[in-house]
Amino acid sequence: MKEEKLLKEPFLVVFKRWMMSAGGITITLAVVAAIIATIDSGPFIIVNTVVTGGMWALLSLGLSLVFGVMNIPNFAHGEFFLIGSMTAYFVFNPMRLYLNDNPSAFLSAIAPFLGIFLAFLVGALMGIIMEKLIFSPLRKRSRDQWVMNSFLLTVGISVVIINNIQLIWGANFKGIPSYWNVDPLEFLGVRLSVDRLAALLLSVITLAIFWYFMRRTQTGRAVRAVAQDETGALLVGINLNKILSLTMALSAGLAAMAGASLLFMFPAYPTAGLKPLYVAWYVVILVGLGNVSAAVIGGFIVALLQTLTSYYIGTGWEDVIPTAVIIIMLIFKPSGLFGSVVKGVHEQ
Amino acid sequence: MSAVLETNEVLKVFGGLTAVDHVTLSVQEGEIFGIIGPNGAGKTTFLNSIAGTYVPDGGQVRFLGEDTTGFSSDAMCRRGMARTFQISKPFPKMTALENVMVAATFGNKTIIKNPTALAIEKLAFVEFPMPVHTPAESLNTVQLKRLDLARALASNPRLLLLDELAAGLTTGELGDLMDIIRKIRDSGVTIIMIEHIMRVIMGLCDRLAVIYYGAKIAEGPTIEVAQDPKVAEAYLGKKYDL
Ligand SMILES: Nc1ncnc2c1ncn2[C@@H]1O[C@H](COP(=O)(O)OP(=O)(O)OP(=O)(O)O)[C@@H](O)[C@H]1O
Ligand SMILES: [Mg+2]
Repeated sequence: MKEEKLLKEPFLVVFKRWMMSAGGITITLAVVAAIIATIDSGPFIIVNTVVTGGMWALLSLGLSLVFGVMNIPNFAHGEFFLIGSMTAYFVFNPMRLYLNDNPSAFLSAIAPFLGIFLAFLVGALMGIIMEKLIFSPLRKRSRDQWVMNSFLLTVGISVVIINNIQLIWGANFKGIPSYWNVDPLEFLGVRLSVDRLAALLLSVITLAIFWYFMRRTQTGRAVRAVAQDETGALLVGINLNKILSLTMALSAGLAAMAGASLLFMFPAYPTAGLKPLYVAWYVVILVGLGNVSAAVIGGFIVALLQTLTSYYIGTGWEDVIPTAVIIIMLIFKPSGLFGSVVKGVHEQ
Repeated sequence: MSAVLETNEVLKVFGGLTAVDHVTLSVQEGEIFGIIGPNGAGKTTFLNSIAGTYVPDGGQVRFLGEDTTGFSSDAMCRRGMARTFQISKPFPKMTALENVMVAATFGNKTIIKNPTALAIEKLAFVEFPMPVHTPAESLNTVQLKRLDLARALASNPRLLLLDELAAGLTTGELGDLMDIIRKIRDSGVTIIMIEHIMRVIMGLCDRLAVIYYGAKIAEGPTIEVAQDPKVAEAYLGKKYDL
């Protein structure tokens, strides 16, 4: 056993190979397209892309994580987004109205974060409840046809949540004009609202924390271990139930956080989770099922596609173009641009 | 000497097939206990039934004096039973070090203050031949077997179950592996090993049990069992009659 580093290939060789891979080509094309569009129409293209991209990344990463670790194709993932925006609305809106009458600079500054943070917690709690109440009993009973059964369950859960929300809180839009009632910032000639800037910062910080958690902490390693080999994980003493609950909690919490952060753009109403669900699936299918880090890149790529489409072709085409791109891509790379990393559903 | 593991009439049935047929045996502290038998005899299934991969359909398992029948494999690992699989099962996308670290962190009963140090120590103990940051997916069979061993040892087990660890090794590699297994035993770990290779069995095992169609047909000191006519018959079968 030696402490020295692995023999490194020359950087240029690695870089060339990467440039020729599907992932490398896509990233390069995306960056080039973003630069050309920015020169052509202005920096707002980049701004819009990174703001929504960060949130799509949070959303898709959770979907990918749950598929990779638990083999659940979650079609109720959009409802976590919705629960996040609902929570943020019910926490933030009363505070906003109160602050209108009783101005307080300090409270105004922290109220949005409070709403978003509580949304994360409520989302995470929903995730745990779903795992404990629905998936854990099913897992104990039988793992035959697991992917199909869990898929059907999540579709059912989605319907139940949508209808209950409609029943309890009605079908009207619950939105806010903005989180921060201040003038937009001017930056290199671009006007950027503080809400968008906050959403961007929040997603970047969260992604960094998540990356650190997965790569550098023992619990994160345990999550990756379960994703890579469930039997092996049990073998080294990992408590599977804890890790599965944690995975669901993280996935749901991050989706809820995305919903809460974007409340100023997407108001909450019973079926508000459908669009984010489609987007998250676009991303995950595009980059490869279960590939969590690629889902982050994919979030930004899909956001760029949407931004370009709605600006150059028309807002109505936002969902059409990404779908077409995915269909074309799947013909050439069926396992996604960066490759799927899902473990065998039936092990041993 | 006291018994580390005792099984009483352990039974495992798959559909109509009795894979483990009322197996009773006891393994003493500090010994290397061999399990032999023809392919498909039920050896792996027996290990699976005592280590928590399968819940036995009948009988009891006592490990370190505690009734552990039907416990899950992570619980058994934390109680001090570690194992390697017939086919290596590393976490492919992690480095060798991370693989062992995960076991050090989650496999021990007590909290390990420095899992990295423990993992490096165990990799050194099994004379892991590669840099510790090598991704597990790029290791070859021999290296993987050592990684498996280090990973199993990282949970500081009292009993180590080895399933055909020597399969697929060259003669030279066999000798190295046998040295390491002896070293593990001398560090105070009791070992149960399933093995087909006679040289390894005769060189390492203190006692043997023979499993044939799921049932134990012989048990005793290695030399005696090896000379038992019943065992020769089980292995050679009809050919022996001719
Ligand atoms: N999960 C399972 N479901 C159904 N049958 C099984 C299962 N696992 C093992 N068997 C059957 O049980 C019998 C015993 O298998 P086992 O793997 O325990 O044998 P073994 O002694 O380890 O053989 P080998 O030396 O080839 O490893 C075989 O007939 C096998 O087909
Ligand atoms: Mg076997």
